[in-house]
Amino acid sequence: MTDDTTIHDLGYRRYEGVREGPRGAWGAIFAQGVRTMFGLGRSAKAKVVPVFVVVITALQVIAALFASSVSQGQLPVRYGNVVQGSIFLYVLFVAAQAPEIFSRDQQHRILPLVLTRASSRQAYVSARLAAIIASVFVLVFGCFLLLYLGEIGLATDPAKRFAEIGDHLWPVLGVSTLISLALGGLGAGVSAWSPRRAFATASIIALVLLTAAISEGLADLAGVASRSAQMLNLVTSVLTFTMLMFGETNRGMESNPPLDVWMYVAQMVGYALVGVILLQLRIRRLET
Amino acid sequence: MEFDTGITGLVGANGAGKSTLVKLLLGLIEATEGSASVMGHDIVADRAAIRALVGYMPEHDCLLPDVSAAEFVTWLARVSGLPATAARERAAEVLRHVGLFEERYRPMGGYSTGMAQRVKLAQALVHDPRLLILDEPTNGLDPAGRDEMLALIARTGRDFGMSVVVSSHLLGELERVCDAIVVLDEGRLLRADQLGAMTGVTMTLMVEVDGDPAPIAAQLVSSGYIVSRDRANVLVQLPDGADEVSMRMACDAIRDAAVNLDVGLLRIERRRGHLEDLFRTRQ
Repeated sequence: MTDDTTIHDLGYRRYEGVREGPRGAWGAIFAQGVRTMFGLGRSAKAKVVPVFVVVITALQVIAALFASSVSQGQLPVRYGNVVQGSIFLYVLFVAAQAPEIFSRDQQHRILPLVLTRASSRQAYVSARLAAIIASVFVLVFGCFLLLYLGEIGLATDPAKRFAEIGDHLWPVLGVSTLISLALGGLGAGVSAWSPRRAFATASIIALVLLTAAISEGLADLAGVASRSAQMLNLVTSVLTFTMLMFGETNRGMESNPPLDVWMYVAQMVGYALVGVILLQLRIRRLET
Repeated sequence: MEFDTGITGLVGANGAGKSTLVKLLLGLIEATEGSASVMGHDIVADRAAIRALVGYMPEHDCLLPDVSAAEFVTWLARVSGLPATAARERAAEVLRHVGLFEERYRPMGGYSTGMAQRVKLAQALVHDPRLLILDEPTNGLDPAGRDEMLALIARTGRDFGMSVVVSSHLLGELERVCDAIVVLDEGRLLRADQLGAMTGVTMTLMVEVDGDPAPIAAQLVSSGYIVSRDRANVLVQLPDGADEVSMRMACDAIRDAAVNLDVGLLRIERRRGHLEDLFRTRQ
């Protein structure tokens, strides 16, 4: 060791390495979007909602598994029940976190920084939309997968149980995908229209509640047409769709048989499309 | 108009069209008519090529408050297409260049205006652009902060080998760092030239003395020089043009006068024209 250590200013060094171009930029915008949705790399305050939602939804799954396990299968695991308990938490997650992406980017005016790099408006919007949908998918699929694996793992004879419900993996994938498309698409579309996060959050929740209220109102008025009116109601549709996919029924469905399952698929995709259209209408006006 | 290499200043009052010009060049807004090119690339057709070559520092706040500078600049490097490891290294390097050290791990919401401006400069540098476009980089800074920011810009332009376009509504500060100046007014080009040509050395010697300048001024007048006063300074016109001989004679006369009167000479210098003079003569 010598005493005469000095810090040498190496001066400015050029960057000669590879540049990944638009593809790398898309990936970076997407990845940072997913991190933002879950509050990673941000303050403790930003983690409150995602952590709350993840913990409570996971607890519901664990409770359902526990009840089934203790009653030795007397209380079967029902995906419909879990969705019924969690759907408003999924909505809360989207309503609170989608504005953390689109509204926050506009509020703090970081778009000029992003759009003067290897990205375009279209690439930016698609990466952010994909990030929101992927985050919702991680949440919903995580819950379903836990339920699915738990149901098999906790059974007295896992191999036999797997033979019975092993093919439930496809509805698990399908339902999570469609829920995340519908909720994520809608949340992204609405949140892009306001740089104020609180307003965007309120708008998303209001939209979900409003469609539910309108749908109920129409059902009361129209009577026979009530099943078509239900198509507006995102919350009950998600519920019915899930039960259909897993072959579950409840008393309401016996007296009032649901529509064909493809109608619900179309509805979920429809909600996602509404979100995409809202984004496309907004994209030119995103302020730089 | 054409911007040369080196540091170019973009001057104009608020609303003169500085930011609009900058945003046009970057393709953030579309031109209604006319055309432009940046480093040989057309701003409409070759937008992607331009963006790899240009670093942009907007005039407004553009930082996420609950994210650290290190994370934010790394992310923007990745959006410029740098791979993850390189992005992290470059971000650390440019943040060090702009003078942010341990603070870079703190959320940016708690930064002072000076620190925020440094982060904004760092993010413009992180992908190693050939051209830096800085929109009002000294906005909101105190005098010391202005000096530091200007020194940083000068160093960026000279040592890093980048061309810089820097806009400001303050002539004085552009004068200190720029090689060339472009003057805009209400969306029109007023003048574009090398700084030296606009504010060339004048035929005046400025003399600063220790104490009362009146006696030495009187002495010089009696020696046949045309003398005027500028606050505590004496301004001496060079009679026969600005050549070596006349300079030396004038300096000798001033020295002799100072010796005779026993006043201390503090400074003799050729006075440079100021950009403000340009505006003054125009009105």
